[in-house]
Amino acid sequence: MKQTLTVNGERHEVDVAPSASLLSVLRDDLGLTGTRYGCGRGQCGACFVIAGGRVVASCLLTVDQAARQEITTVEGLANGAELSPLQRAFVEEDAMQCGYCTSGMLISATALLASDPAPDEDTIRDALAANLCRCGVYARVIRAVAKAARH
Amino acid sequence: MAWEHREPEKLERRIRIERDGTVTALSGKIDFGQGIRTAFAQLVADELDVPIERVNVVLGDTAQVPFDFGTFGSHSVAQETPLLRKAAAFARRQLIERAGKRLGVSPDRLDTAEGTVTDGTRRVGYAELLDGTPLTGTVPDDVPLMPNARRHYSGKPMPRLEARDIVTGRATYVADVRLPGMLRGAIVRPPQRGAKVRSLDDSRVRDMPGVKVVRSGDVVGVVAEREEHARAAAGSVLVEWDAVPVEGPSTDVVMRDDTGVEAKLRQAAKTVDRTYVLPAIANAPIGPSAAVADVRADGATVYVGTHRPFGVREQIAKAIGIDERKVRVIPQITSGTYGRNTHGDAAIEAAILSKAAGRPVLLQWTREEEFVWSPSRPEAVLEVTAGLGANGRIAAWRYDEHTNVHAAAGLDPQVLGGTSGRNAIPPYAGFPAKVTLHIEQTRLRTANFRSLAAAENVFAIESFMDELAVVKKQDPLAFRLAHVDDPRLRNVIERVAERSGWGTPLGERRGRGLACTIYHGTYVGQVAEVALDASGRVSLRGFWCVVDPGETLNPDGVRNQIEGGIQQSASWTLLEELRHKDGRVMTTSWDQYPIATFRDAPRSLEVLVEGDASKEPTGVGEPGAVPVAAAIANAVYAACGARIRELPITAERIRKATS
Ligand code: FES
Ligand code: FES
Repeated sequence: MKQTLTVNGERHEVDVAPSASLLSVLRDDLGLTGTRYGCGRGQCGACFVIAGGRVVASCLLTVDQAARQEITTVEGLANGAELSPLQRAFVEEDAMQCGYCTSGMLISATALLASDPAPDEDTIRDALAANLCRCGVYARVIRAVAKAARH
Repeated sequence: MAWEHREPEKLERRIRIERDGTVTALSGKIDFGQGIRTAFAQLVADELDVPIERVNVVLGDTAQVPFDFGTFGSHSVAQETPLLRKAAAFARRQLIERAGKRLGVSPDRLDTAEGTVTDGTRRVGYAELLDGTPLTGTVPDDVPLMPNARRHYSGKPMPRLEARDIVTGRATYVADVRLPGMLRGAIVRPPQRGAKVRSLDDSRVRDMPGVKVVRSGDVVGVVAEREEHARAAAGSVLVEWDAVPVEGPSTDVVMRDDTGVEAKLRQAAKTVDRTYVLPAIANAPIGPSAAVADVRADGATVYVGTHRPFGVREQIAKAIGIDERKVRVIPQITSGTYGRNTHGDAAIEAAILSKAAGRPVLLQWTREEEFVWSPSRPEAVLEVTAGLGANGRIAAWRYDEHTNVHAAAGLDPQVLGGTSGRNAIPPYAGFPAKVTLHIEQTRLRTANFRSLAAAENVFAIESFMDELAVVKKQDPLAFRLAHVDDPRLRNVIERVAERSGWGTPLGERRGRGLACTIYHGTYVGQVAEVALDASGRVSLRGFWCVVDPGETLNPDGVRNQIEGGIQQSASWTLLEELRHKDGRVMTTSWDQYPIATFRDAPRSLEVLVEGDASKEPTGVGEPGAVPVAAAIANAVYAACGARIRELPITAERIRKATS
C-alpha cells in the first residue's frame, strides 16, 4: 500500500504494509540508516525521531501513524554541511564512544532545547533518561548539551 | 602460531599512496571508540608530511591489512604505533629517492612539504612519483623518523575522525551496509543452546512470497526480501529439537602458593574470612549483533563488527567450508560490545544464510536474541581468609575463586590464570598468599567481558581490605598504604584520597569508599561517594579516579575510556543481574535488565590522568571498570554500616543488612 511520509522536509512515497514500523521504513526504504535499531520495544532510545514536535520511538510508530506528521531524523539536524550547535558540542566534547546511541540522544536533546533553551542539569538528565548508553558517556553528553544551550 | 610471531613488515601492507595523492594507512587493529583511527591518521600524516585530511585509515579489512591477532585493549595499539610510523617514514624516504632521480638531484638535497617532494624551488606531488609503480619493500627497522619538532598532529587533541559521521547519522554501522540484491535473514532459535534438529516442518512458510528456509546442520533460518517478512517466517517454521546439554569445563589452577600460608593462618592473632558473590551479567550492547555476508561460488565477503577480523575469518571459512583465503572480512564501525565480539556468531549465521540463498544477506539479531544467545560474564564466588598479626598487618592470605571459564582459550593453566583468574592475586605486599582458581562447570554460555575476571576479584579483594581495616580499627586508606610497596600504586591511592577530600566529614547516610588496582600495568585509585535515601537506594554523589597508564599520548581519550568504564561498572554494581536456568537465559529485554540511565550517572565524575611518562603506555579501556564495585560497596558501608558482599547492591539488600 502506498504511504506518503514527510521526513526532514522531504516528501517520500513508499509502498509497504501500513503496519510496518517507521524505523524499518526509514532504514530500509528511505536509506536513512542514522536512526538505529536497539530493542524494537521503545526501551532504549536508539531509534528516536521527532514526530510532530515530540520525541517518539520510531520502532513503535507504524508508518500509517507517521504519515500524518512531520518527521525529523538525525540526518535532518545539520543545516547542509553546517552542524547544529548540539552536533558541534557532541564532537567537541567527544560525547560518544561507539556512537550507536548518539543519534537518539541528539534527537532527545534537540527536542529539549527547542522547548527549553536553558535547561539545568536535572532537566537534561530527565529529558535524556530514555536514551540508554552502554559505553557510559552520560557525563560528557550532559556537558555537551549544557554547552550547546549556552550558544 | 605464537603471539609474538610477526611477518616482516611489508610497506605495501601498511602505506599506499593513491593516484589522487591521498594516503591510505593500513592496520589490523580495530577502533571501537578508543580513537585509534585518529591517532594513526595523525602519526602517518606527520611521518609522511601530508595534511591529515588526505590520510585514510583502513582498519581490519583482511584483504588489505597485515595479519593481526586482534585488538585487546590499547596496549596492543601501543605496539602497533611504531610499526606504522616506520612504514610511513620508509615511504617518505622512497618518495624522496624517486624524486631525486626525476629531478636529477641527490636525495639529501630534497625535503618534503604538504604531500610533495621539493628541492626548494620545484615540487613534485607524491602521486606523480608513482608512475604506475607502487611503493613496496620490507620496512627496515632503523629507518630514520621525522624529528619531533616537525610533527604537527601527533599527541595533539583533535576530535575523532568518525565523530562527524556519527553525529550526522552517516556512519555506516554493520546493519547499515546495503548491497545490491541483499536479503534479510532471521534464525529459528532452539529452546537451548547445543540442541539438535529432530524434525523441521516448513509447510506454513512455503507459500510466503520470497521466503526461503535454510538449514545447515543444526542452524535453521530463513531469508526474505524484508526484515518483517523474515521475522514472521522464522516464527512460522516448526522445528522439533533434541536437547543436548552443553557443559563448560572444570579444573583447578593454583595461581600462587607461597610457603607457610596455612601455618601462619593458624598462628595469627586473629583470622577473618569472608565470601563475596557476583551474579552473571550481560554484555548488553545497545546495538545487537549484526552481520552482512555475501557468499559466492568463488569466495565470500563479510561485513561485521569484530576486534578479531582474522579470527572471525577463520570461523566463517570453517562454517561454510571454503578456503580461509577466499574469505574477506571487512570490519565496520559497531556498537560497543566490551568483549562479546570475540565470537563471530552473527557473521557465521549470515554466511550460512547467504551461501544457501546465493545472495547477500543482512542478519540483525533482535534484542531478545542478544540477551539470550550472547555469551555472558560468569558468576563468581570468592572466598578470602586472612590472618592478622599482632602488629595490625596481614600475616597470611588464602583466596579461592570459584567461577566458570571467561574465554574460549582452552584449559592451559597459564591462560586460565590470566583470564578467569585475572587479578586474583592481591597487589599488596608483605605476607605469603595462596591463590587458587576453581573453574566450575556451567551450562551458561560464558565469555570474556570488559576486564575478564578482574572486576570480580577486585570487588572481593578491595571489599575485604576494607573489612580488615574495620576489624583492626584502622582507616582503610592507612591500612592499604601499610601494605603497598609499589610506588605507582601508592601514588594513585594517595592522590585520589587527596582529590576526594578523604577523611573530611560528610552528612548523614553519606559515605566514601576507596579501592584500587593494578590492571595489566595500569594503576588505578578510586573513591566513590554515595548517599542513601530512606529506602536504602544508593545514589552516586561523586566519583574520583586517578589513573597512571604510563606514557600518555591523548589524555582526553584516556579520560573518556576511564569514565566509560566507571559508568558501566557502576551499572553492573548497582543494577545488573542476568537470570538463567540450565544454561537458558531468562532475561530477554531492557525492562528485565535495567542498566544505568542519565539519572543514575554520578553527580560529579573526576578522572585525573597522571601517567608516569617514563613507562610504556598501558591499556585504559578496561581498568577504569575494575575497582568500582568495591569503591561503592565500601562507601555504602561508610554511609550506613551495611556490608554488602553480594552484587548488585540493591536497596533491599541494604535494608536487610541494616535491620
Ligand atoms: S529501538 Fe526503538 S526504543 Fe529501542
Ligand atoms: S556510545 Fe556506545 S552505546 Fe553510547
